Amino acid sequence: MKRFGPERSERSAGPSRRGFLIAASGVGIMLGFIPARLAVGAERPLSEPQALFEPTIWYAIDRQGRVAVNIIRAEMGQHVGTALARIIAEELEVDWDQVTINHVDSDPKWGLMVTGGSWSVWQNFPAMSRAGAAGRLALVAEGAKLLDVDPATCIARSGAVHAGTRAITYGEIVTRGDLRRTFSVEQLQAMPIKPAADRRLIGQDVAALDIPSKTDGTAVYGIDATVPGLVHARPKLPPTRNDSKVVSIDDNAARAVPGYIRSVALEDPSGTVPGWVMVFADSVTAAERATDLVKVVWTVGPSAKVSEKDIQDHAARLIADPKGGALVVDDPGLDAAFQAAGSTLERTYTTSSAMHFQMEPVNALAFEKDGLFEIHTGNQWQSLILPTLAKALGRPEATIILRTYLLGGGFGRRLNGDYAVPAALAAQTIGQPVKMVLTRADDMRFDSFRSPSVQTLRMAFDGGGLVTAMDHHAAAGWPTEVMVPGFMPKASNGVAYDPFAISGADHWYNVGAQRVRALSNDLANRSFRPGWLRSVGPGWTNWAVESFMDEAALAVGVDPLVFRLRMLDGTGRNAGSPPNAVGGAKRQAAVLAAVAQRAGWETALPAGSGLGIATTFGQERDMPTWVACVARVRVNRTTGDVVVERLTLVADAGTVVHPDGALAQMEGAALWGLSLALHEGSEFSNGQIRDTNLNSYTPLRMGDVPDLDIAFIPSEEVPTGLGEPATTVVGPAIGNAIFAATGARVRHLPIRPAAILAALASASPR
Amino acid sequence: MVSFQLNGRPVNVSAQPDTPLLWVIRDEIGLTGTKFGCGIGLCGACTVHVQGRAVRSCIVSVGSVSGAAVITIEGLDPDGKHPLQTAWIDRQVPQCGYCQSGQIMQAATLLQDFPDPTPDDITAVMNGNLCRCMAYIRIRAAILLAADMLRRGER
Amino acid sequence: MDKRLLAGLSMAGLLILGGCVALVWRPGIEPVPPPTAASFAPAEVARGQVLAAAGNCAVCHTSDPGHPYAGGVGFASSFGTIYSTNITPDAATGIGRWSQAAFTRAMHEGVARDGSHLFPAFPYDHFTKVSNGDLEALYAFLMTQTPVVATDRKNDLPFPLNIRALQAGWKLLYFRPGRYVPDSARSPSWNRGAYLGEGLAHCAACHSPRNALGAEDPRQAYGGAVVDGWIAPALTDANPSSQIWSEQELFAYLRSGVTDAHGSAVGPMSSVVHEGLSALPDGDIHAIAAYYADLSQGTARHVGNSAGIDRSIKTSDVGVGQVNDVDARLYVAACAACHYSSGPDPTAQRPDLALNSALRLDQPTNLIQVVLHGVGAAEGDPLVMMPGFAGALSDADITRLIAYLRRTRTGLPPWADVEPQVAMIRKARTQAP
Repeated sequence: MKRFGPERSERSAGPSRRGFLIAASGVGIMLGFIPARLAVGAERPLSEPQALFEPTIWYAIDRQGRVAVNIIRAEMGQHVGTALARIIAEELEVDWDQVTINHVDSDPKWGLMVTGGSWSVWQNFPAMSRAGAAGRLALVAEGAKLLDVDPATCIARSGAVHAGTRAITYGEIVTRGDLRRTFSVEQLQAMPIKPAADRRLIGQDVAALDIPSKTDGTAVYGIDATVPGLVHARPKLPPTRNDSKVVSIDDNAARAVPGYIRSVALEDPSGTVPGWVMVFADSVTAAERATDLVKVVWTVGPSAKVSEKDIQDHAARLIADPKGGALVVDDPGLDAAFQAAGSTLERTYTTSSAMHFQMEPVNALAFEKDGLFEIHTGNQWQSLILPTLAKALGRPEATIILRTYLLGGGFGRRLNGDYAVPAALAAQTIGQPVKMVLTRADDMRFDSFRSPSVQTLRMAFDGGGLVTAMDHHAAAGWPTEVMVPGFMPKASNGVAYDPFAISGADHWYNVGAQRVRALSNDLANRSFRPGWLRSVGPGWTNWAVESFMDEAALAVGVDPLVFRLRMLDGTGRNAGSPPNAVGGAKRQAAVLAAVAQRAGWETALPAGSGLGIATTFGQERDMPTWVACVARVRVNRTTGDVVVERLTLVADAGTVVHPDGALAQMEGAALWGLSLALHEGSEFSNGQIRDTNLNSYTPLRMGDVPDLDIAFIPSEEVPTGLGEPATTVVGPAIGNAIFAATGARVRHLPIRPAAILAALASASPR
Repeated sequence: MVSFQLNGRPVNVSAQPDTPLLWVIRDEIGLTGTKFGCGIGLCGACTVHVQGRAVRSCIVSVGSVSGAAVITIEGLDPDGKHPLQTAWIDRQVPQCGYCQSGQIMQAATLLQDFPDPTPDDITAVMNGNLCRCMAYIRIRAAILLAADMLRRGER
Repeated sequence: MDKRLLAGLSMAGLLILGGCVALVWRPGIEPVPPPTAASFAPAEVARGQVLAAAGNCAVCHTSDPGHPYAGGVGFASSFGTIYSTNITPDAATGIGRWSQAAFTRAMHEGVARDGSHLFPAFPYDHFTKVSNGDLEALYAFLMTQTPVVATDRKNDLPFPLNIRALQAGWKLLYFRPGRYVPDSARSPSWNRGAYLGEGLAHCAACHSPRNALGAEDPRQAYGGAVVDGWIAPALTDANPSSQIWSEQELFAYLRSGVTDAHGSAVGPMSSVVHEGLSALPDGDIHAIAAYYADLSQGTARHVGNSAGIDRSIKTSDVGVGQVNDVDARLYVAACAACHYSSGPDPTAQRPDLALNSALRLDQPTNLIQVVLHGVGAAEGDPLVMMPGFAGALSDADITRLIAYLRRTRTGLPPWADVEPQVAMIRKARTQAP
């Protein structure tokens, strides 16, 4: 499956056109991979603290031996800097208290800047390890020279080079030594990395570097950005996300608001925010109040009357039409298998629109200064929005810079940096720095929410109840098609598709002949901007796959766990391969077996309670994170209320770099799954999302948290991602548990009490 | 002009009296540890103390705190080492961290009222503070740790 | 007010005008040179200050806090809007040229210095009970205040209600002048409470229902009434509070503005406590409490409420934990952080909603007021403020929140037609002068 851009090649060990540079400067050394064109004779000074740009480096060491690691990934709660810096520190042999992190601004030198897909650790592990190892080699060589000993007799430990009883600190080497060394690509590829048994930092619990500032109010988020002389702006949002045009603006009433400046319809050559009117004022409050009073007349787009049901009906029609769509998996013999089947099963599953509701509403501060257009905002995918900004502002990308801030929640919302565009246009229009903070209601209406989906799954069984074929049709809005169509790979039938919107359907179960057909819901794509929401496609595909596996097991009278384990035999295309998927489906079977044991799968429960099981391979077959979950629920048959008593999860994510951080990600992802399963879900209605704030959109709160039991399978395999996978197992595990408890099968996410009551009414008594 | 005490110091602000306290603290005074989340008093990210008790500053007008004592996360402890802050680090609570100022301010009132909180006490008082990263398990653990530290007179 | 009532009112007025012309006319009292401050004994002025507070004069006669007693506060009624007058000693626009006799006559008989009748929005029907001695002290206090030049604002009353002479008829029907007469069968404290409560403090002006002509209905004295968009609850045994108003509870409430078992004094009652009664010594507050506890048989009925309190506190964690009810989720998000309490005793800092009077009234008026507009730092308990949700929640959301509280925190029948009341109260505040 195609991923975002060239960076992936580092992971898959393809040769990188990069060298490694160690160069001394007045204040320290810098070490990093740099583009080859800069490597020759490039001696670039370490930046002054106030400098706008830093040289092309991964980390620097100063004369006190302190290591500052540059992080190009967005910090949104996953402690990514801590994880990545730790990989460098491990090989560099420095103690953790010597390490600091520096989240860098956008710059072409960093290559692709994107944080998502649970990729960060997995992608950066080899590069960061080699960067650390190369630095250590250089420091040992120079330290040995200063100590006047043979480098072979030296070892590096705790930020010093030791030769017998003598030692010299890295800080001293930086101060006194002559550190000039480059490593060739070949040398870097051959750079030895520690065996797992020798690791001192990776896998140990250390304090995350970003946490203290998040307890005393000093952490700086995008919304905290400021600059002298800024004006505040709030948009007046058009009735539809796309295709609205401003006809007239009447700000007579707004002029009575003290601090109101003016209202302007934005001209946006990039087409990102059509029909936006920006209301300027001298304070957030004045902008909010004035905007409420500004009257705008628009011509509206065709989606003004579109509602969730229209979108879902359209999806069902797409599925019913055998033509169309991308055949992501297309085994021969599928139709024959269904024709020859002893029995078949067909079920349709649906999911509602779901909102990001990241805590920090989207915002941006923008201004032009010294020929550079600065955008101050939290963002997950700088490389995506920069070209759009360039188009919107009509200036070269090289003259636009995204300043980096902490993200008050990402969850995929800030992969789509569309909110930077109106702020930039506003600043350009008014010729002053503009800070735009969306109200929560505006943020929700402007959200790139998770598209509703419809999926129909079919399974063929032979006369003995063994699975012979599986067919999966999934229709939803496709974020990648709408926002970055060039990144869509082509399926076997030549149709380009959004890999993120179908991943999960291409599971690791051996089901005989398999077909996966991905359908882009063009009505959804036109009516709103579908977004990547934590886990993206598996958020709905795994709901369908894992609910369906339970229904299929029931159909052939096999225990749902046993049914799954039989098909996770790790043969054929599901055998797995190095480096990322060693063990294949057998590792998924292992987490399933482990979670079943941990959760007491065989235990009898009181009436009205039940256990449900579900599993996932995470985000992508190329980077599987094996997770399984058992949910234990209690259902009130009178009210349809579900109490989730316990969630048990087992994960195999390969090497775990930052165990406590990994646990935190699992906790958060599992609870996200629970929240999406029972408490969230909205509805598109007349061209807008229905729920715009917490009065009606009710994400999980503390009181909703069940007992959580989370375990990791110890592993020295390649570290994979953990930010998302647990999200997608909880919903189907709960759905399956509701069935186990009551006999009521629910096929729509989120699961509402009314749906359970309806299912109970139609279910046979148990 | 409205006058009140902020983190122990008198302040006079020029904002209109009906301006939400949150924006006065953030934009006029420049203390940004207090966060804007929902704007309707239902997420708790903007929680500050007024007269020693947790209040959601996004729906409190600055005029209504005239003469009152307001404390923000920056003023909870002069060194940022309130037992709750220490416990928050010890239990590695924050993920994105955006809600945590509000969580800590609300928890401070919780512990003032319930020095030895039961699980229900914690849930009931903290339920109004949304954590979208869902670090709830750790928030609960850190509150219990801080309660223990306070009882033993540590700080 | 509805037109039928207005017509009836006009008719009654005209009849009275026709029949009783002789009673209408009152002589003017000659203006006097404004008395100097030195002409009043400081002790008398100080005593007058306390009495002015007890009478809550400032609350009604101050529209600009920088100019106390200068009048201009609008009182919207179903008859129209009446504005309070300037009672500072300014010679031209205030009462600077009023003699003691003119002042006393105004208080006792509702007649201005120039002989015109005052509207009964000015509660002379209560002030008539105040002793001459107290009125002398009150006069001394008012005449030594800073004079403010402020011309009285013209009342906004329709014809014929704007004819002051018609007030004579009203007086004939409803006004019974006369000083307070102590009940010798009662304790001095009870009598003191009655003198203050029935007289200067004019409690019944808010807490008694009024008839179609705006007069207190003696048959329903203290039966509760709607005033300024708030319900002044019944002070009789018809009071619906969960806990009996004992003398101790009344004292705590009138002294501090809050009690653990009833909640806070909010809205107009907050200024009564904090700007009025606060000047009175404890003895007077005890006296008032004793009088009203007797009125409602509160002391007799107060036989230990602990079971009720236990029951109430048990409802405090309703909604905590895993709930799907969207109304409970709204309560949990908006209210529970402050209103949850685990007992064993209720605490004013965590107001227990099951004990709160506002949830138990026949109408949700007061609850809507508080949810919309909150409780300011200066109201109720000075250490507890509540934000208003007017800018945060829609009428529909407030309606379901209120219905949820009534449903889960009281055993009382649901309120009807809440949403229009929310809309009306929200609008009234936005349009307030």
